[in-house]
Amino acid sequence: MALTGDLKTFNFVDIFQVIGRDKKSGILFIEWKDLTCAYYVKEGEIIFSRPVDKVYRVYADKDFELLLNKLRMSPDRLPRTVERFLISKLSMKEGIFSFTPGFIKYSSEYPIEYPMEYLIVLASRHLTPEEVERKISDEMLLFERVPDKEEVLHKAKLNKEEEEILSLVNGDKTVLQIRQLAKKNSLVVDRALYAFLALGLIRRKKKEVKQKPGSITLELLTKIIEKIRGL
Amino acid sequence: MRAIRKIKIVIAGPFAAGKTQFINTVSEIKTVSTERRTQQLSEKSVKDYTTVAMDFGKIRIDDEHELYLFGTPGQFRFDFMWEILGEGALGIITLVDSTNPTTFHEARKIINFFQSRFPVPIVVGANKQDLPNAWSPEDVRIALDIDEEEGIPVVPLSAVNKDSVKNVLLILLEIVKSNLMS
Repeated sequence: MALTGDLKTFNFVDIFQVIGRDKKSGILFIEWKDLTCAYYVKEGEIIFSRPVDKVYRVYADKDFELLLNKLRMSPDRLPRTVERFLISKLSMKEGIFSFTPGFIKYSSEYPIEYPMEYLIVLASRHLTPEEVERKISDEMLLFERVPDKEEVLHKAKLNKEEEEILSLVNGDKTVLQIRQLAKKNSLVVDRALYAFLALGLIRRKKKEVKQKPGSITLELLTKIIEKIRGL
Repeated sequence: MRAIRKIKIVIAGPFAAGKTQFINTVSEIKTVSTERRTQQLSEKSVKDYTTVAMDFGKIRIDDEHELYLFGTPGQFRFDFMWEILGEGALGIITLVDSTNPTTFHEARKIINFFQSRFPVPIVVGANKQDLPNAWSPEDVRIALDIDEEEGIPVVPLSAVNKDSVKNVLLILLEIVKSNLMS
C-alpha cells in the first residue's frame, strides 16, 4: 500500500519516522516544483537517490544491482547522492511524496553514511514553529525517556544542544520546564523534542486510566457488550 | 415511570474523519445532528456540511439503560464542546481518516486533549480502510506517535461497515471491562 501525502502537512521527519520505524524497503518519490526525485529505501535506510524525469521509468528497474550497473554508479558513491538530492533539500516545504513499499530487489549490502536516525535529526533542524506545534502542542506535556535506545542515540549523532535537551527529559518536567531549564530558543527545544519523539527516544508519559468508581457496573458493561455484539 | 440511565461514549476526531457516519452506522435512531454549511474554503472542498455542536446516536441496552454515542465537531474552534461532551464518558473513540495524512497531527492533538482531561480508555479507529490509498493501522499508529505502551489500540475501521464499527466499540468496551476487573 503506497503512503502518499504533502510535505506541507507531513514533513520529512514524519516521513522518515514512518519508513524507518518498521524498517520498510521500497522507493520514496518526492515531486518538487522543479524536480522529481526517487529515494531508494532498503530496510528503513535511504541508500541512494536520483532525479527522475518520468516516475514510471523507475519501475522498469526492479533489480538495484543492475540499476547501479546501468547508471555506472559504484556503491561507494551512493551516500553522495543522498547528500546531493536529499540532505540539501531538507529545508524545502513544498512537495508531494509517495512511498511504494516492496517492488525493488536489493541483493547486497550498501554503505550507509546517513542512517535514518541521523536524517531525522537533520530534518528536525529545519522545522518551522508551525510544524513543531503539531506535536509539541501543549507546554504542559510530559515526556519520559524510552529505555534501551543506545543504538538509536549513537546513529542519531545529536549535537551538544540536543544532548542537553534530551538529558532534561525525565518524566517529571513539562515541556515548559524543559524550555526554561534548557535556556535556549524554544524553537530549538521543540525541534529537538519533535526529533526525539520521531526517533522513539522519548514518549508521552502514560497517564493512569481509571474508571470513576461507580460509573458503571461489570454486569451492565457485560450487557452492553452483548447488545453491541448482537446489533 | 423509571428514569433511563444514559451511558456515554464519545466519538472524536479531525474534520471529515467519519464520525457522523460511524454513529449513523450503529445507531438505532436516526442520528441527531447539528450540521451547518461549511464556511471555510478548505472545508468546503471536502464536504458541504459539518457538525458544529454534536451528533448523537442511541442504542437501547434494556428498559433502564441507553448507550449514547456523542460525536464531537472536528474543528479546533469548537473544542469547548469536546470538554463538555467528554465529561462522564465511558471511553473515547478517536477516528482518523487513514487516507489523509494531513489530519494525523490534528488527531494526535485531539488524543492529547482527551488524554489530559479524562482518565478513560481511548481507542483510535483508522477509518476509510476500504479505500485504496489508506495508510495501514500500523503506519497510522507510528505517524500518531502512539507508543505501544501507551495503551491506545489503533484499529482498522470502515465506518460504513456495521461489523467494523461494532469491532471498534467492542475493543473499547473490553478495555473498560478489563480496567474494571483489575
